[in-house]
Amino acid sequence: MAYTRAKIADLIDGTVDHDTLHQMLSTPKDPERFATYIEILQERVPWSDRIVLPLGPKLYIVQQKVSKKWTVRCQCGHDFCDWRDNWKLHAHIHVRDTAEELEELYPRLMAPTSSWQVLREYYCAECGTLHDVEAPTPWYPVIRDFEPDIDTFYKDWLGLPVPERADAA
Amino acid sequence: MNIHSPTNRNVQVLGIDAGGTMTDTFFVDSDGDFVVGKAQSTPQNEALGLIASSEDGLGNWGLSLDAALKQLQTGVYSGTAMLNRVVQRKGLKCGLIVNRGLEDFHRMGRAIQAYLGYAYEDRIHLNTHRYDPPLVPRNLTRGVVERIDMSGTVVIPLREDSVREAARELIAADVEGIVISLLHSYKNPAHERRVRDIVTEEIGRSGKTIPVFASADYYPVRKETHRTNTTILEGYAAEPSRQTLKKISDAFKDRGTKFDFRVMATHGGTISWKAKELARTIVSGPIGGVIGAKYLGEVLGYNNIACSDIGGTSFDVALITQGELTIKNDPDMARLVLSLPLVAMDSVGAGAGSFIRLDPYTKAIKLGPDSAGYRVGVCWKESGIETVTVSDCHMVLGYLNPDNFLGGAVKLDRQRSVDAIKTQLADPLGLSVEDAAAGVIELLDSDLRDYLRSMISGKGYSPQSFVCFSYGGAGPVHTYGYTEGLGFEDVIVPAWAAGFSAFGCAAADFEYRYDKSLDINLAPDAPADQREAAAKTLQAAWEELTHNVLEEFKLNGYAPEQVTLQPGYRMQYRGQLNDLEIESPLPNASTAEDWEQLVDAFNTTYGRVYAASARSPELGYSVTGAIMRGAVPIPKPKIPKEPLEGETPPEEAKIGTRKFYRKKRWVDAQLYRMEALRPGNRVVGPAIIESDATTFVVPDGFETFLDGHRLFHLKEV
Repeated sequence: MAYTRAKIADLIDGTVDHDTLHQMLSTPKDPERFATYIEILQERVPWSDRIVLPLGPKLYIVQQKVSKKWTVRCQCGHDFCDWRDNWKLHAHIHVRDTAEELEELYPRLMAPTSSWQVLREYYCAECGTLHDVEAPTPWYPVIRDFEPDIDTFYKDWLGLPVPERADAA
Repeated sequence: MNIHSPTNRNVQVLGIDAGGTMTDTFFVDSDGDFVVGKAQSTPQNEALGLIASSEDGLGNWGLSLDAALKQLQTGVYSGTAMLNRVVQRKGLKCGLIVNRGLEDFHRMGRAIQAYLGYAYEDRIHLNTHRYDPPLVPRNLTRGVVERIDMSGTVVIPLREDSVREAARELIAADVEGIVISLLHSYKNPAHERRVRDIVTEEIGRSGKTIPVFASADYYPVRKETHRTNTTILEGYAAEPSRQTLKKISDAFKDRGTKFDFRVMATHGGTISWKAKELARTIVSGPIGGVIGAKYLGEVLGYNNIACSDIGGTSFDVALITQGELTIKNDPDMARLVLSLPLVAMDSVGAGAGSFIRLDPYTKAIKLGPDSAGYRVGVCWKESGIETVTVSDCHMVLGYLNPDNFLGGAVKLDRQRSVDAIKTQLADPLGLSVEDAAAGVIELLDSDLRDYLRSMISGKGYSPQSFVCFSYGGAGPVHTYGYTEGLGFEDVIVPAWAAGFSAFGCAAADFEYRYDKSLDINLAPDAPADQREAAAKTLQAAWEELTHNVLEEFKLNGYAPEQVTLQPGYRMQYRGQLNDLEIESPLPNASTAEDWEQLVDAFNTTYGRVYAASARSPELGYSVTGAIMRGAVPIPKPKIPKEPLEGETPPEEAKIGTRKFYRKKRWVDAQLYRMEALRPGNRVVGPAIIESDATTFVVPDGFETFLDGHRLFHLKEV
């Protein structure tokens, strides 16, 4: 079953009614879903380099137009790093590790005890978009969310050619 | 049966099943003859579909609606309007009074409500989980100060000021009903009743008219969320239904009927639309069939019956063992956990209207879970349906007659089905259209067969000791498929299969049932005074419930002496998790000896349901609930009894042949007109027996025999 482009756009915006959303979630994906999804995202970003894979609501792996290098990029156009690096290590990090900072968000006694758990916020250095929040124990290393196997995803799952990559391993 | 005979017949009973797809009516005359009427449901104004369906049915008798309605003695309604009102959250604006500090529990609900009614894949797929909006929003919920503990002891006295304040605020908010549900009120209703009285007082003072519902007056049973949901339904959904039912009742009265409509209730009896506990009519259609099967079983001597019903959207199975239904005490409906006694039934979302799709990756055929409902499928051009349904496969394979669907009221186009199956299923699978369609039907049949088998064996029985009843509009099309190889003692298709639920409604008792939770616990060696006290506790509960039951009958003009009361109780061995519902062998209990009789009745039932060796009297006994049922006699449909004639069907029953595809070959199936077959006739497959409202498929390898009660017996040969 194929959905209209407008329906996919609604899906991205989170404005699909629940019954339809449930059906979209529980029936097999329409084969052209990924292409349509990326196309809509591509229209909405202010740059024209090709989106290879969305990583978050405003975070993408893109193929740079001229160099064909793949980088992790913010909606605003800021490039964090090479796509194989953990972008969080290149972000601005705000750690809430005192009761005072945690109570900016939670009422007193409803926040975690900061010696047990802290909040780490990862911001774009250029536009200040908050891309991710971690809630680990204070000493825990920066988490690597996931390492997508993009080649397999494109070739075997989507049946599409892998976009060109300058430093293809 | 739709038999044409001379006019001066006396129509007595009307059963109505207003389902999501079709509105069925079932008329019975004084000789036990009956007709089935069918029309498409009209959810916007139910009376329209009802009148159309009645005219369709009575037309077979050559009777006008007005003439027949004047003769009617009684009528029973079942329908889905109340359920839809809850599903669509279109009920009345109610206020809720709970314990202070617990104002959020209704809104939070039970976790299970986030995935109730989902297919298995969706239950384990957390993304699909969702909490529905609460029946009563948080801003119309008020807390009052009081606390009663689980033993019924007052821990914090009721602060009446907090009640007055809550009542005034809700009244000022213009609510259309006020529901009260306090912790442990089933154990000690004193505070809740006091709250009710104060709220009533405040309403009186405001000059408004707002109904008040205290859970202790309606559903005094444990489990807060269940009890609260159910009591809210009384105000939220049942009151509007009361108005609808009154309208239907009045519409029929205007046309000459002289009785009040009764409604099928979840416990398997029928109650008046005037009933106090009307929320228990929230689902009724599928129950009708089970009650009908039980009634037929009682009259014809079948003790163990597997009831199977295929409609447009689901396949429902219920078991009757030793003539007894199973009652479930905390069912869920419309994604809410409830405290209602419900005839236990299992459903899978696969019916004749189920959509069929191919998984684009695995090419596996997927049935449902959504369905076209009353819109049949692609074969009905006006439906607007584009996805292939099970009915489209039937159309392609020759199971259904495109010109005689609902007696020709809906014209279906076989070619539309062929084209849709070709593009959506056959081409992607590399199969011929008929093989693709046959594959779907085989898959559906084997799904239903596995389901039926697991249900019966899961309860410790074998199909060999059961008679399978198959009914519902699409039931007889599939009977051979889902019973093949299971080895049922007998497989029965009533000639009025399509109207069977409506028939069941007409056959149900006029019966009220009230339940109350109890916590009686007795050691195996409890002394006589404890046993006597236990008997007295149970008796006190029975008396409270009797009062409720008699009140209900009083509303319908029945005096207490006309009501037959049947007390019951739920008992278990101490420490076990599941109780059994027992009909009390005594009309009342007051002594230690009475208690022993109740225990004996429980042990006997336990041995029958499980095994004699599994009985565990050494654990002692618990009574978890008291039940009171009251019934008054009403006219019921008679089961026809006609003398048997020859085995050869009369020539006029034969209405041609149709190409029929099964097991990779086309055959010419002999078509029969169901109404023209005579008792005693034997029909050998491949044959298709058609009637306006249903189609009974007898493929090669099967034969069927029509007995004197107008029941078809299907056999593998």
